[in-house]
Amino acid sequence: MDLRTLRPSSSSTVRRLEERVADLEADLAEMRQHQLRLAELADVVQELLVPVAQQDREAVDAAVERFRKSL
Amino acid sequence: MAGARIRPGISRVDDQGLRLRALDDRALDVCFDGRRVWTFWTLRDTEGTGPLRRVAWPRPLVKHLDGRSVVAVRDSASGATYFEQELALGSGAGRVEVVSPKGVELGFDKSGKLVPTFAGRSERDLGSLLDATEAVVAALRECGLEPFLAYGTLLGAVREGRVLGHDSDADLGYVSRHDTPVQVARESFRVQRELAERGFATYRYSGGAFRVDVQEGGVTRGLDVFGGFLDRGRLYLMGEVGTPFLEEWLWPLTTAQLSGRTLPVPAQPEHLLEAMYGAGWKVPDPAFKFTTPARTTRALEGWFRGTQPGIRYWERRASASTRGSFREPSVLARRAARLAGELGAEVLDVGAGRGADSVWLARQGVPVTAYDYVPRGLRDAVDVAAAEELPLDVRPLNLTEWRSVLAEGAHLAHDPRPRVVLARHVLDATSAFGRESLARLCSMALREGGRLLADLHVVDDAAGGDRPGDPGEDAPDWMVGRPDAEAVATLLRRYGATRVVTKRLPNRDRTTVRMVGEWSAWT
Repeated sequence: MDLRTLRPSSSSTVRRLEERVADLEADLAEMRQHQLRLAELADVVQELLVPVAQQDREAVDAAVERFRKSL
Repeated sequence: MAGARIRPGISRVDDQGLRLRALDDRALDVCFDGRRVWTFWTLRDTEGTGPLRRVAWPRPLVKHLDGRSVVAVRDSASGATYFEQELALGSGAGRVEVVSPKGVELGFDKSGKLVPTFAGRSERDLGSLLDATEAVVAALRECGLEPFLAYGTLLGAVREGRVLGHDSDADLGYVSRHDTPVQVARESFRVQRELAERGFATYRYSGGAFRVDVQEGGVTRGLDVFGGFLDRGRLYLMGEVGTPFLEEWLWPLTTAQLSGRTLPVPAQPEHLLEAMYGAGWKVPDPAFKFTTPARTTRALEGWFRGTQPGIRYWERRASASTRGSFREPSVLARRAARLAGELGAEVLDVGAGRGADSVWLARQGVPVTAYDYVPRGLRDAVDVAAAEELPLDVRPLNLTEWRSVLAEGAHLAHDPRPRVVLARHVLDATSAFGRESLARLCSMALREGGRLLADLHVVDDAAGGDRPGDPGEDAPDWMVGRPDAEAVATLLRRYGATRVVTKRLPNRDRTTVRMVGEWSAWT
């Protein structure tokens, strides 16, 4: 549906459009929030995965502590 | 047209405030014994009909208004004096002194807080803040960023060549070479980590901004570091900016003088100042209020924020000292003490506030870790624990930051032992993400078995506000959303609780639900 071609000729059309805008804003906010969560997960993985993969217990402990203290 | 404006007239200044005549809106400085303390706008900040206006003293100022003082009211932009008279306020004894308990001169900053201002500081204090600014600029460069002065600090440098007297902090910004929020946030995390490794104390506001705390003449001042990025001709800068912008307005950075120091600024700083303060940025306005477009706020909120629910309320609570005297322990804390004794467990007090329950538990001999996302509120608890050698540890934890929860959870999972998690009014003071995080933290902390004890207010649909999730007018100020006890119980089970008991507590002003979640030891 091309919104520009719609003529808000009745209050029900206006209401439908208002609801649609609210829905779109909510959808957009929901998608935007994934940016921060993805960044957080990538950061945790990057900082902690390498010492875990190396199976170096001391390095894992040190990485967890260093990460915690840097927050 | 400035020439056609009619001067405002101040008709009365007394214990209640000011009465004035004003036809147009302009910023006026109020000075006590020659020192600017407060600025207000003649129409925006006053009440009245037509040109007859009145404005009450801001509440934080009232307690200082006791004594005699030469009160002057001046035009912020032109410096013209509209009123100047020696007055007796309050008891009229002594001089009015608007100072902190340590004697540091205070003034209202642009966010309406009464804070130590640069205007009241010595050259030496100012010098140490400029030193700190240079040090943080250098450190950010070492981290691969191109920092520049931002907001009020940029305004001071470009317009006046000096730190603005009414400002209370220093602001830095940078525009990332990345162009998506996820990359910008990752870069911000990396830089904060590298600053911490260099010994700087930091505090994160959002995925795109953090503060570096520096000591200046006995006062801790925050240097805010705002991240930004350019996306297809649009500049977003944390805080308040989202506007069409050209790269050549930013890069290559140039320099400006700030109270005698040479510091970096954007290539054409006037464009950024216009984006921050509007076309009128050249005219001084110490009472400036940002009118950020809703589109910009929505974008910055969505991409970077949501990690500090209710922060203003909790910061305010945290700044009030307990003077070492704590309220009586909560019913839930007493129950936690009994359970900890039975299970041989330690207690994790999540959302510990000022630590009354934590200190009481530690005094019963129960090992306690007190968590809060405003750890400043726990400073008295730390002092008491040190003085009495209590088994109390204090650690920062933000349930709305995945990194914080996963890192603390990993730390706890690494040291498995029986635990009781005490969460008194946490589930109803955080977002849905925060509630899930508490469940996740329990699943990581309680691998040797243990319990979650939680109290939360619930709001029936009829009592809630009009919007979905609005707790309604009768809810406490700190309440976030309308958590549903049954949904929380389901969440806890999903995160490994083998049993959840929910009980509505009778005879309370508000409906409170007590939840006990039980985790069994992993076999």
